[in-house]
Amino acid sequence: MDALLEVRDLSFIYHSPDAETEAVKRVSFEVGREEFVAIVGPSGCGKTTILSLIAGILEPSSGEIFLKGKPWEEMSGLTAFMPQRDQLFEWRNIVRNVLLGLEIMHAKTPENITYARSLLQKYGLAEFEKKRPSELSGGMRQRAALIRTLVTSPELLLLDEPFSALDFQTRLSVCDDVYDIIRAEKKTVVFVTHDIAEAISMADRIIVLTERPAEIKSIYRIDLNKTLSPLKRRELGFGDYFKKIWADLEVKQCRKNIKDISVN
Amino acid sequence: MSEEHKRYLSKLKRKRILIKLVQIGILILLFGLWELFAHVKIIDPFLTSSPSRVVQSISNLYESGMLFRHLGATLLETVISFLLSTVIGTLIAIILWWNETVRRISEPYIIVLNALPKIALGPLIIIWAGAGRNAIIVMALLICVIITIISMLTGFMSIDKGKMQLMKSMKATKLQTLCKLILPGNIPTLISVLKINVGLSWVGTIMGEYLVSREGIGYLLVYGSQIFRLDLVMASTIMLCILATAMYLGVSLVEKLIHKYY
Repeated sequence: MDALLEVRDLSFIYHSPDAETEAVKRVSFEVGREEFVAIVGPSGCGKTTILSLIAGILEPSSGEIFLKGKPWEEMSGLTAFMPQRDQLFEWRNIVRNVLLGLEIMHAKTPENITYARSLLQKYGLAEFEKKRPSELSGGMRQRAALIRTLVTSPELLLLDEPFSALDFQTRLSVCDDVYDIIRAEKKTVVFVTHDIAEAISMADRIIVLTERPAEIKSIYRIDLNKTLSPLKRRELGFGDYFKKIWADLEVKQCRKNIKDISVN
Repeated sequence: MSEEHKRYLSKLKRKRILIKLVQIGILILLFGLWELFAHVKIIDPFLTSSPSRVVQSISNLYESGMLFRHLGATLLETVISFLLSTVIGTLIAIILWWNETVRRISEPYIIVLNALPKIALGPLIIIWAGAGRNAIIVMALLICVIITIISMLTGFMSIDKGKMQLMKSMKATKLQTLCKLILPGNIPTLISVLKINVGLSWVGTIMGEYLVSREGIGYLLVYGSQIFRLDLVMASTIMLCILATAMYLGVSLVEKLIHKYY
């Protein structure tokens, strides 16, 4: 078995004084080495929750997560999480932002610092390493945030709507950037998005979730040319994928929207 | 640089100079009218004093060798209570951030202490801390520390959730989260707390001096009004204005320094 990540019967319940909310219900899937998997679902369905569980931010109510066949807890250095928006720290310059993970793991060795610098160099941020995040464009910030997740040399990257804060045009080019970097560094990725086109343009496989509590509705293998960039894939068209996934994501939602409009 | 931009810049500069001139003009006018009216007895200088009498009063104090003793006493009390309240308040806020249970237990007590007019504790403070400098510092400390705790804690709790998740995903310990995220992320909060405290510590110190002191600006104010020497009261008020402003400017300087490095 060559699965890097194995999620088995994962469930999660949010507790609050008023109620308990079942967010994730018996979700199982596997992710192979160097695979690019997208999780899509209706908004608020719990896709980010699944990612948080894999990232160790939340503890599952039940179910198991295996990395390289071993329980999650033993392999925690293997994953790195990239939160929504870049979350760079304004009081640190770019290179110190990028080194944050190493500092926390007490792994700020000269070799690792050299590696971080080489990544900044390779992806065009070397001359900005002493700048504050606010001095960078949205796309550059996103690249810096990605490099921050790469410096601890994880094998599995977990991206939570990585492009949601960007405008459409920047989004397409940053999407290409990120895709290139991840392919070049041979990383495995699980990423969450609400944008079907984005998912199809980047992913090898797409997991479609139901409304809350999130269960797996369907899984699509995307047979588009892997050597093409996401932008090229968009240009060539997505075939039937878009239509199928759109249909999976509940007709119910559309009807609700139409009702809202007619009330207005 | 285009002609239009030059015109724009010179317009800006002229406006800046005009504002400064009017500010200084108002000050001169106020003091001038004050002196004039007192001189021609439109107002009674016995009740209102006058700029020349104020200067005389300050120079008398200086000659008697008491001026710097009074100013020094007040300044020392203010600076000590300012620094102590900032440090103690921040430490307590850290403890409350760290432990949710302690935070929730202490909540009603902080609300009551915040609502209570601290001056009401004056008599108790004098009995417990003794009628002297300690009582004044405790009074000023009490006034500043509660608002420091509340402001800092609010800042700590409103750090972006995404940043907290990032730290958690990196398996950061609570101490690391505090040192690398919570504290540096709240430097702006700290600066605004410093600015509030620089004002409040003066309030506390002067109030404390009203209650117990034998020296200081607050003492001069009370003493001057008791023996009906309004020259002394006015002189003390003006010196207080200058000192408080100087301290505020000091804090602004610290703010600029912090901004340079943060």
